Amino acid sequence: MKQILGRMLISLAFVASQAVAAPAVGQPAPDFTLTDTAGKTVKLSDQKGKFVVLEWVNPECPYVRKHYNSANMPKLQKEFGAKNVTWLAINSTRKGHSEFKSPQEMAAWMKQTGGAPAATLLDADSKVGRLYAAVTTPHMYIIDPKGTLVYVGAIDDKRSTREEDVKTAKNFVRVALGEAMAGKPVSTASTNPYGCSIKY
Amino acid sequence: MRKFLLLAGLLLASAASFAAPVLTEHVEAELVRGGPVEPGKAFTAALRLKAIPHWHTYWRNPGDSGQPTAIEWKLPPGWTAGPIQWPQPERLPIGPLLNFGYEGEVLLLTEITVPAGAAVPAAVSVFATWLVCNESRCVPEEAELRLDLAGGDTPWAKAIAGTRASLPVKAESLGAWRLAARGEAQKVVLEFTPPPAFAGERFTFFPFDEGKIHNPGAQSLTRKGEAFVLELPRSTQPVGAFTRVYGLLVSDRQPRAAEIDVPVVAGAPAGAATGFAAALVFAFIGGLILNLMPCVLPVLSIKILGFAGGGREPRAMRAHGTLYALGVVSSFLAFAGLMVALKALGSEIGWGFQLQSPWFVGGLALLFLALALNLSGLFEFGALVPARLAGAQLRHPGADAFFTGVLAVAVASPCTAPFMGAALGYALTEGTGPAMAVFAALGIGMAVPYLMLSWNPAWLRWVPKPGRWMVRFKQALAVPLYATVIWLGWVFALQTGLLAGTAEAKQADGWEPWSEARVEALVAQGKPVFVDFTAAWCVTCQVNKQLVLQRPDAELLFRERGVALLRADWTKRDPAITRALAALGRNGVPVYVAYRPGRAPELLPEILTQDILLTVYRPVPRKVP
Repeated sequence: MKQILGRMLISLAFVASQAVAAPAVGQPAPDFTLTDTAGKTVKLSDQKGKFVVLEWVNPECPYVRKHYNSANMPKLQKEFGAKNVTWLAINSTRKGHSEFKSPQEMAAWMKQTGGAPAATLLDADSKVGRLYAAVTTPHMYIIDPKGTLVYVGAIDDKRSTREEDVKTAKNFVRVALGEAMAGKPVSTASTNPYGCSIKY
Repeated sequence: MRKFLLLAGLLLASAASFAAPVLTEHVEAELVRGGPVEPGKAFTAALRLKAIPHWHTYWRNPGDSGQPTAIEWKLPPGWTAGPIQWPQPERLPIGPLLNFGYEGEVLLLTEITVPAGAAVPAAVSVFATWLVCNESRCVPEEAELRLDLAGGDTPWAKAIAGTRASLPVKAESLGAWRLAARGEAQKVVLEFTPPPAFAGERFTFFPFDEGKIHNPGAQSLTRKGEAFVLELPRSTQPVGAFTRVYGLLVSDRQPRAAEIDVPVVAGAPAGAATGFAAALVFAFIGGLILNLMPCVLPVLSIKILGFAGGGREPRAMRAHGTLYALGVVSSFLAFAGLMVALKALGSEIGWGFQLQSPWFVGGLALLFLALALNLSGLFEFGALVPARLAGAQLRHPGADAFFTGVLAVAVASPCTAPFMGAALGYALTEGTGPAMAVFAALGIGMAVPYLMLSWNPAWLRWVPKPGRWMVRFKQALAVPLYATVIWLGWVFALQTGLLAGTAEAKQADGWEPWSEARVEALVAQGKPVFVDFTAAWCVTCQVNKQLVLQRPDAELLFRERGVALLRADWTKRDPAITRALAALGRNGVPVYVAYRPGRAPELLPEILTQDILLTVYRPVPRKVP
């Protein structure tokens, strides 16, 4: 009798908690397929076995410009690209929005700012942005070789559009990647992202 | 073109340092004050930001994106500027996202204190930065602004006074509230009864902290008598634990915004006691179940056999049953009273506190030994009890019945039955009256079966006629009692240090000692965690441990999913554990808490099964060794 009652209570509790939730730290990163600025197809699950960084980007956003004009983001992309990390920059600005960029415009901007992600991906229907519940540009996600999210949040701890702030900021992504790649637990795994809203 | 405009706006903004409004591309910015500025007095300055139509600036928590306006004061030495006094914001939806901010004009007030004897300069200046956005674009702007200090009242006095009058106020300044918040898997439920000064039909919550609620999610409001229930959906990518509902509660009527700070109590499984009536019902059921616990059953059986012995007249039996019930209920009330009093004196204790005392445990062990020996037929109580007392018992059979009730409660205390955890936890947070009522319900639940038998002796017909079997049955009943004696002796030895290190503390393989900090660290790393709040004297805890937690199935599950196992040992008094239990809305053990990445911590039922653990941890990805 007690067992039955107990089970009823538990099943009730679980119906409520089984609703679909956006991926969070510790959960598997959902798979997706997008096309990069060169027209090549990129599938997340093909990167299994490697660390992957997802960076939400929008060239029109002042917060994004801060990190590119200061060379902060390009430097990170190069530094970890050299360490076999797959860095994917994703623009989820919806097609039709005034800030939407064509693949050519995106590629030109990346080149001009010195950005060096493994691929710059177009998410013109914002599907992947919504899948990851990304809210800002930049919004950063780190996925470990098993495909688990180990960091979700801001690029650093200085919420501003001032380029000089990158020098004194604590870069959460660099710290998290460093720790995760050394096999250590990520000390700060969730932070509040800051920036412009993604143009859904 | 856009870039050019932005640049022009920025240039204009940074170059300007006038008392007159500064015009940027999207905002008219100005620093104003109401009254005269005098040494030794405080005055209010206001940053006035007026965004062009459909553009907005941000509140202290900007929501899903954006940035709060910031003011950097450049004041003469000794002058101080207080924090920005944020007016209540609006919810500003941006596609599927939501921001908190101000469309149109906003006055951000700041209190400036001027030291006594200070010379008041002609003007002071500030450097203000803000982000201004519309649905599709965001522009950071900044301006160096001047505040003229010379002269008396200004035309802004009225607007500043108006803004101040409608600023959010501390909830408690409006009168007495009832506020409670409990965490559930997908939401935090805020229940509140506002004082008459904060009337309204619609209420919305604006959090001060980011990363707690899912900003764009609907906040569903329902009425429950005088109270309102507001459901706050949890952030899908939470940052830090949602430990308090801290922010503004905004009503659709004047005065509009009240600042609240309500601790979030972890949600009990669905159906747990959430209200007074529910707590009473659960306490009653808990009391009924206590009768079946191994520590109580033998004692009760003796009494029932006494009935079966027959030969008593119905009136005497009814009186006997009633007095037994009285004994049970008054002992529970005595326990409750003692507990409330000790808590009032500042002790951090919970249900089972009596068992944290080796004296109580030792006494109980002796009592059980006496009962067991008696059942085995090694001695009769009459032979031991002084003649005068025995006589008293004969003369007052009522006293015997009453003290049997007391005895039953004493022996029941190690068996915190299921359902009791939630009811007792509720009782102790609700004050003396409700606590007493819940304990009384517990006592009534425990006494009811015996009481009913005593009033309906016909129900005892199934009990065979007394005979040789009764002696055997009594001897059989003695076995669990002897076991109890051994177990209590073990607890006593642990508590008094006769046995080195308590067995609960001496962690089994894979278990580590619990601490609040350890849990936080593991959760921050995105690790699944299981916490076992237990005590050596808690029977239910030991049963769960033997039948579920230390079975190979559970050990394999925990290992596979990389679940960190923490054990909080409450065998002896431990204020940190008592506080942690209170935060979970509990007041006794066992309590099991499951933490899973991306989800709210969850309380599991007091009676664990393998299935429960599987349902909880199977969705967690396998750990690759």
